[in-house]
Amino acid sequence: MINNEVIAKAYSSINYVVAVTLFCIGLYALIIKPNLIKKFMGLNIIETSVFLFIISSGYVKGGVAPIYTHDTPVNALFVNPIPQALILTAIVVAVSVTALALSLIIKLYDQCGTLNANKLKELR
Amino acid sequence: MRILDLLLLLFLIITALGVVRTKDLLGASIIFSAYSLIMAIIWQRLGAPDIALTEAAIGAGVTTILFLVTIGRTVRREDE
Amino acid sequence: MKKLFTYFILFLLWLLMVSAVLALPPIGSETTPVTTHVIPRYLTEGVEEAGAENIVTAVILNYRGYDTMGEVTVIFCALIAVLAVIGREDVKLHTSKVDLVGIKESVIVRSVVRFLAPFIMLFAVYIMLHGKESPGGGFQAGAILGASIIIYTMTFSYDLTLKKFFVKARTFMESAGPIAFFACGVIALFYGQNFLTYMIPAFPFATQEAMRNLMIEVIEVGIGIGGGTVISSIFLAMEKVEK
Repeated sequence: MINNEVIAKAYSSINYVVAVTLFCIGLYALIIKPNLIKKFMGLNIIETSVFLFIISSGYVKGGVAPIYTHDTPVNALFVNPIPQALILTAIVVAVSVTALALSLIIKLYDQCGTLNANKLKELR
Repeated sequence: MRILDLLLLLFLIITALGVVRTKDLLGASIIFSAYSLIMAIIWQRLGAPDIALTEAAIGAGVTTILFLVTIGRTVRREDE
Repeated sequence: MKKLFTYFILFLLWLLMVSAVLALPPIGSETTPVTTHVIPRYLTEGVEEAGAENIVTAVILNYRGYDTMGEVTVIFCALIAVLAVIGREDVKLHTSKVDLVGIKESVIVRSVVRFLAPFIMLFAVYIMLHGKESPGGGFQAGAILGASIIIYTMTFSYDLTLKKFFVKARTFMESAGPIAFFACGVIALFYGQNFLTYMIPAFPFATQEAMRNLMIEVIEVGIGIGGGTVISSIFLAMEKVEK
């Protein structure tokens, strides 16, 4: 099943494989770790892995950043601007989601005195 | 330069594992900051300076600070 | 046992996703579906049509203006939700001389931050105003502005920040992003154009392109000030001490 062709394909799109791996690492933290702050660190890792995937899909080999300057050649090769525009706003939304979650966590700790999800389940 | 890209991706996975495996939440936040910085460098290499700027300011700066503030107001060890 | 099961499931998921990802076109090829449909038009005509040399800014503020307007509103709503959950800082509680978060001991940190903080803010203003023709723009400027206020608060004191950057001023600045966007979008409606097209007729003193560029600049400044204030407000609300 794993032959040279697959390895060469994985090498040529190594960013995708790394993004998938990071997604699994983040999901592991989200599932296994009982601490709520650690769960949200895992969620942040998942978010950045998806960003990495989308930005990599817009990359063009040999392309430069999509900005016209006075010395840009006529038919210059640019990378894809759409994924960048998509992710630029998504990063800012991600940080506001994190801020909201963390403020909820602070309030939860004030009320319950623990951040362990297993203990929180017993408190009810 | 291909080797630099591969090294950065390797460091990315190592720091992500570090974030997940570290029991001390303060240390995990700092490693998360390093993770975000490496991600910013990768995006600069992929031709996205806008995203790199945002990630370096938000991922490495603001998100880490928000985690630190939360840890300061709650617990520092993971198993409490 | 539960852990082993989770590892197994995650490994299966990883295999599934890797096999899916390897079926995609390789990174960097020019013929992937991602780069074929509207991208050539954006890249070749973006400067004339959208009025920004930085195509990412052109896409964010002009071609996909609706999307960005929604995102700006989302950030504002996140601030409202945070303030509803933990509440804004109380000015009366912080009139004492007690230094809440300031780092007293480190002279180096204090001197470096005192020297650097104005330059960080200047850099934020620079990329806010030059988002059209260089990397940068409203969101980046907002992030850097918020980070500079956060670094100032962490190094000096909470009270000092509240004194210089007080709540009454922040309340208006937080909503700058959505307000700038809606205002510039609605102006086109009065001239019979579509929402957020920035197409208003030429004035005696300015061409149509100049008015469009001016509106894009206004939106950048609005997003920058609004984003920076939202980030610093969230930080100040989370950092406050409950009495």
